[in-house]
Amino acid sequence: MRAVFRLLVARLFVSLLVLAGVSVLIFAIARVIPGDPARIALGPNATHEQVAALRGQLRLDESIWSQYAWFVNDLSRGELGQSLYTNRPVVKDIAQFLPATLELVIVAGILMICAGLPLGMLAAKYRGGVIDNVVRLLSLLGVSAPSFVWAVILMLLFAFYLPLFPIAGRIDTAFEVPGVTGFLLVDSLLDGQVAAFADALRHIALPALALALSGIGQAARLTRANMVETYDRPYVEMARSYGFPEWRIARSYAFKPSLIPSLTIIGLDFAAMLGNAFLVEAIFAWPGLSRYGVAVILRKDLNAIVGTVLIISAAFLIANLIVDLLIALINPRIRHSRDAS
Amino acid sequence: MSVPVLDIRDLRLAFQGFDGRTEALKGISLSVNAEERVALVGESGSGKSVTARAVLGLIQERRDTELTGSIAFEGTELARLSTAGRRRLRGNRISMIFQDPVSSLNPVYRIGAQFLEVIRRREPRISKREGCARAAAKLSEVSITEPERVLSSYPFQLSGGMCQRVMIAMALINAPSLLIADEPGTALDVTVQDQTLRLMRQLVLEHRAAVLLISHNLGIVREYSDRLYVIYRGRIVEQGATDSVFRDPRHAYTRALLDAVPRITRTGIPVVGEDVEAFSAPCEIHAEAA
Repeated sequence: MRAVFRLLVARLFVSLLVLAGVSVLIFAIARVIPGDPARIALGPNATHEQVAALRGQLRLDESIWSQYAWFVNDLSRGELGQSLYTNRPVVKDIAQFLPATLELVIVAGILMICAGLPLGMLAAKYRGGVIDNVVRLLSLLGVSAPSFVWAVILMLLFAFYLPLFPIAGRIDTAFEVPGVTGFLLVDSLLDGQVAAFADALRHIALPALALALSGIGQAARLTRANMVETYDRPYVEMARSYGFPEWRIARSYAFKPSLIPSLTIIGLDFAAMLGNAFLVEAIFAWPGLSRYGVAVILRKDLNAIVGTVLIISAAFLIANLIVDLLIALINPRIRHSRDAS
Repeated sequence: MSVPVLDIRDLRLAFQGFDGRTEALKGISLSVNAEERVALVGESGSGKSVTARAVLGLIQERRDTELTGSIAFEGTELARLSTAGRRRLRGNRISMIFQDPVSSLNPVYRIGAQFLEVIRRREPRISKREGCARAAAKLSEVSITEPERVLSSYPFQLSGGMCQRVMIAMALINAPSLLIADEPGTALDVTVQDQTLRLMRQLVLEHRAAVLLISHNLGIVREYSDRLYVIYRGRIVEQGATDSVFRDPRHAYTRALLDAVPRITRTGIPVVGEDVEAFSAPCEIHAEAA
């Protein structure tokens, strides 16, 4: 376990470095984009004096170094400045919009793991059979269309022609769920409102599925390919020669060792979903951070852009950190790399 | 004479591939008596490994094969058993040692867990502690000095020779009556291979198990078998007591095989013809010593 702990510390340190790098980059890039944030915020009818006043208030006339220093100063106090778009502290905005996106992405990630891995496992176990071909066809479909296409298709099929699911939003307005974590699925249960939970689940089903489909496809294809390869390894034959049951062999001898590359891909997909979530959020009117992010970029809302990007990077890094830890737990070579000898 | 441990009669095997049928075995007959060590010698592709897998019942589970003839294990015809019935024999009554010990052990489980799984083939209800104790005892029999450390190790933490010993111990822990050794230790270097083979011979004697040794290495065959069968292209071409065959090889292929052994005193590796007509001559059977 010592090696895992060391890995965790090292990765955390690197993650912090990456975050610092991202903050510098996005800070600079946001200021290089043409357009005056103050002018955009105040509109075409504002006077030069008003614009200059706002620029002064935003410290836009100072050098970019001193602006960055102010930003770091704010950050150390847990502040990200004021948003010009919502006229609220950026931290408040993120706190409001982030849980919706995280909830969507986490549900999609769970779908990806719970559907993608077993499908790939089934396909590999029955290689060449009907199940295999169906899984391969479905996963190819999932991979080959982007999530916003799936969002539209799913919405048309299952919300419009066949109104099984609600068409937009997170939850019916009739329900009032007290915000504790911001995750409606969790909060409704904490409050004991089973009906609200069911409603939130129905709302999240389609957007999460649309978001997860390409990941499900990728996870299934990769798991299948790795397992098929692992099935040819000598230790699988040895397990058979000892007469272990086929399911045991599939699970412990073919699936577990081939889980390592699959997990890596799932980690990357999970992070990519944070970005892909934007179009899905737009289509399903999901009040998430991606929608907020695009809105603030269009308005050149500097503080909000930097804040949003930082939060998404942090989520990306955390997702990959979790995957690295899981891999270390599965792969004894990593777990015992140092304290073996 | 009692019933042989293994009795194969006229075994024929064909694979159905995309480009037609490939005949792998064209009528093999061989038998292994109790506590006897029998070698099956041949070049790669001659059908020796496939024979071993048919004895284990692994070939029978594939859909693309046609298997005819008879394999009787301790008098029981394998074809009459169900798939589950054949599976029950594996790891219990018959076990196998593989070519590459390191990659034949599951890389993501500790040796102890893998041992326990094998022991539970015979005694499903054995406790973890008791199973580990039994595994440790068996490991000391294969001259492993720190069995506890080995049991809590992963395969990649052990040397090739160590893994080979673990495999031998695993193969013998359920006291099988037949041990199939498929090119044992070929993936190891020569000195380690020799060490482990000696160990195997000694343990097999103690366990009173019969051995079917599959090899292309005539040196090993001469050292570790009582009787041998030479297999060429899915056919047995010569059979007899090991000493007798080495003293007086009668079949053209056997002679070519013996000539093909590189010797330090000679220069280079002798050339053996690919498909010499004489190699298809009928089987030479050495009379049993009275």
